[in-house]
Amino acid sequence: MQKIKNERIVAENLADLYQKAADRFDTLPAFATREKALQWKPVSFRGLYHQGLDLATGLIDLGVEARDHVGLFGENRFEWILSDYAVQFCGAADVPRGSDVSDHELEYIVNHAGIKVCFVETETLQNRLLLLKDRLPDLRHIIVMDPDARIEEGVLKLTDIQLAGARLRNEGDRRVFERIKGIRPDDLFTLIYTSGTTGKPKGVMLTHANMISQTENLPGIHNPNDRTLSVLPVWHVFERVIEMYTISFGGCTYYSNIKNLGEDMVHVEPTFMASAPRLWEKIHEKILKGVKRSHPVRQVLFHTAYFLSRQYRASLSFLSNKTLAVKKKRWWELMILYPFHLVRWLIVLPWFGFFNAAVLERIRLSAGGSLGATISGGGALPGHIDRFFNYVGIPVLEGYGLTETSPVISVRSKHNLVVGTVGPPIRETSIRIVDVDSGAVLYPNKNMPHDGRSLRGEIQVRGPQLMAGYYKEEELTSKAFQDGWFRTGDLGMVTHNDCLKILGRSKATIVLSSGENVEPEPIEMRLQQSRYIEQCMLVGQDQKSLGVLIVPELEAFRQTSSPPASHQELAQNKEANRIISQEIRRLISASNGFKSYELIRDFRLLNRSFRVGHELTNLFKVKRHVVTKEFNDVIQDLFINGTSKNI
Amino acid sequence: MEFPSQLLYAQDQALLAIMIFLIILGMGSSLTINDFKAVARSPKGVLIGFLSQFGLMPLIALGLSIVLGLHPAFAIAIILIGCLPGGTTSNMFAYFSRGSVALSISMTTASTVVALFMMPILLNLYTVRFTNQISETMRAAGAETDFVIPTGNIISSLVLVLVPVVMGMILRKKSPGWAKTAEDTAGFVAIMVILYLILTAFVRHGGLFLQTPIQVYIATIGIGMAGFFFGYWFSRLVGMYPLFQRAISLETGIQNGPVSFAIILLSFNEPVQSQMLWLAILYSTFIVMSSSVITLYFRRKGKFDWDIYKNTQIHNRLFGENYITNYPDGFLPARLKKDPSQGTSPVQQRE
Repeated sequence: MQKIKNERIVAENLADLYQKAADRFDTLPAFATREKALQWKPVSFRGLYHQGLDLATGLIDLGVEARDHVGLFGENRFEWILSDYAVQFCGAADVPRGSDVSDHELEYIVNHAGIKVCFVETETLQNRLLLLKDRLPDLRHIIVMDPDARIEEGVLKLTDIQLAGARLRNEGDRRVFERIKGIRPDDLFTLIYTSGTTGKPKGVMLTHANMISQTENLPGIHNPNDRTLSVLPVWHVFERVIEMYTISFGGCTYYSNIKNLGEDMVHVEPTFMASAPRLWEKIHEKILKGVKRSHPVRQVLFHTAYFLSRQYRASLSFLSNKTLAVKKKRWWELMILYPFHLVRWLIVLPWFGFFNAAVLERIRLSAGGSLGATISGGGALPGHIDRFFNYVGIPVLEGYGLTETSPVISVRSKHNLVVGTVGPPIRETSIRIVDVDSGAVLYPNKNMPHDGRSLRGEIQVRGPQLMAGYYKEEELTSKAFQDGWFRTGDLGMVTHNDCLKILGRSKATIVLSSGENVEPEPIEMRLQQSRYIEQCMLVGQDQKSLGVLIVPELEAFRQTSSPPASHQELAQNKEANRIISQEIRRLISASNGFKSYELIRDFRLLNRSFRVGHELTNLFKVKRHVVTKEFNDVIQDLFINGTSKNI
Repeated sequence: MEFPSQLLYAQDQALLAIMIFLIILGMGSSLTINDFKAVARSPKGVLIGFLSQFGLMPLIALGLSIVLGLHPAFAIAIILIGCLPGGTTSNMFAYFSRGSVALSISMTTASTVVALFMMPILLNLYTVRFTNQISETMRAAGAETDFVIPTGNIISSLVLVLVPVVMGMILRKKSPGWAKTAEDTAGFVAIMVILYLILTAFVRHGGLFLQTPIQVYIATIGIGMAGFFFGYWFSRLVGMYPLFQRAISLETGIQNGPVSFAIILLSFNEPVQSQMLWLAILYSTFIVMSSSVITLYFRRKGKFDWDIYKNTQIHNRLFGENYITNYPDGFLPARLKKDPSQGTSPVQQRE
């Protein structure tokens, strides 16, 4: 039997990786750009490498020093990866950001990172940067990636620099190789600014060693036969890790986008991709729509197949100990359940076999049919979506990580697929669970029952992927670590089959399903300016949009025409709901400088106020996890019925 | 051995006939005129498949009946099965075993047509000693006539079988949506038919399973397995690519069960009909299981060369027909070095 080869390149830094990939994979395609549905333009490992050397030589000639920070503002495209190659070859680090960056952030990042040379993707971005130029004292050169862009005076074109570099190399310029030799493992390869809504973004310093450890430690077996589809923005470290990993095994990355995703999946037949929950929700929607539109006989066949698959996989995951094991099973439970699942598995097996082949395969083909195992990150995958894809046979491997951990901490593997968890930690990575209040280590702890499994607390991580720190923020950096462990700010537990389960956040940041980070405090503080609002708490973790829980100020409503007697009564009062809705719209709006994803789509009035010692700390700070638990049904209701936009 | 003379009641036969019609209609629904044209485009594969199906399989069947010393009625039935054309089931299994579906469809199409004259010839050729045996027994029992293979009836049954195939093809042309449904439903109906036959046999003649000699079980399981085995090695030795080896292997082992039901019901009479039918039922049951197992095996074994084929094919699809994929040294197995696309893309074929 032909063994599937694992072809990962072992490198010392990214420049070394790019070099070795060119030597080993040579003319194989490294990246491909879509021109038409069935017309893509490939660039080979060798070609990209030489273009990168040319551009790097051009950059060196422009004055880019080793360990400089080079701005890289734009979305996924060939020129992006080319610029990244060049920056790495220079021994510099890039500072990536998408084209939706606000002027405020742009100014802050360029100045804080001390960017002298900056790549921008488009004409628009060029013009915006030029308008800010007076406030960017360090910025010397702007380079536009888009070959079709209209270039303003004093701005450079990427192709021109590349050509200049090629000329220099022809004349014998070998400076770029000196630079590559000079790269140390703890040099930065990137400086990623995480979006904070207010206040200042933090620059996460990631080193070559961080990235290389990820390409080596991600689970999975891949080789040059694999195709990676790229849809997530490459300036997120998650997508970037997947692209670097793809280079390391000689696969080709195909640049797609959300608009063409369905079509590209069928044409490219990807075997691997970085994905986010929102993406799977969309595909799920599309599949169900397709089923609804199909012939009634086929609908019945689909539902039968889905039902059988559910039975089959539920029993299979029980028999192989891959069910979510939050509690330790007792022996007598196993005694009863084991034979039951074994019998069910055997009965369902032949039927499942037929329906899996005849019906579910068609569903899988809509995702290209070759998708081996896809890592989903950047937010929690809703349970029903997770199960759906698992049942139809497209294993979605939910992973967990943060920009600060470059990012992957843990991920389910194909052979360790426990739905409801984010899998075991990857190689060389340790996690521990720490009590939020006392700071005591709960897991791994020999004195606890089962070494502390199934106890909840803050997740802390140690491993080669931890960032070097926040750039020029020593205090913040030291706060982020606790005796060598990185504090993720997320609540979680370790299950009895040694997988990590995420339970929520201990930090206040809300991550929407689109991947946007929202800091709730400034929005809440603004809302509390209203005389009608006593307390409030923003919710929306993993949801499409924000919602808010509001404790109305009884006193304020006493002055209205129909004074309410209690919070309970007020919550039902139409007039009160109207007033609050108006207040929210007045305070949080685009014209007040809030971004579209920061706008609140719905709210609920609570029937009592927060109590000190319960929902509030002694210092009147809202304990978010307690409120989330206490008012869980209200929150559920808010997001289930959230489609009726009340604001 | 006492064999129940009436395995199926009249109403069962009618039901069976309808189901066979549906299954073969489903088979036709999956075919287009282009599939016939495709046969001309890959003559080598189809030829190897033809030799394997009509050369190897009847010989395997004859060998099994002689070695196992089967009762003449069973022997005739197993040889009949050996001479059958391939069915659409093999296309589905070829798909899941990562074999060439195109070749599988071409072989099914070609063999269905060729069977019209190949089947009667082969059947007459290989069953001589068994028909003689039956004739002797019959004469000993006082019969006047000899037992002969009803060649004329078989040909007309085969022609009859082609009717729903053509109807299916017309359906496919007129309404692809309905054709897809018919195709899916047919697979489901096929499983139901087999289960129904097995269950009725079990309910009415519970002892049948025990009465059936062990040799019959060996023969019905063995013919499929031997077909897979020899089909695989034959195509491998003549230098076919792995993609085609798997398709030919499965096409050889998997015969068109419903056609055998049709022929047995329409062309044969007692005393052999029930025994032949029983053997066909057993074959249909076991072949589904053994093909599933083989498919899982092929699927695993063939993953690497399939990945290479797929990737190369997608390169040509997206980067243009003239794009050449060069894998690093030592990555391709020796037999794929000359052509990673395994014969599917002209430009990838090298010296």
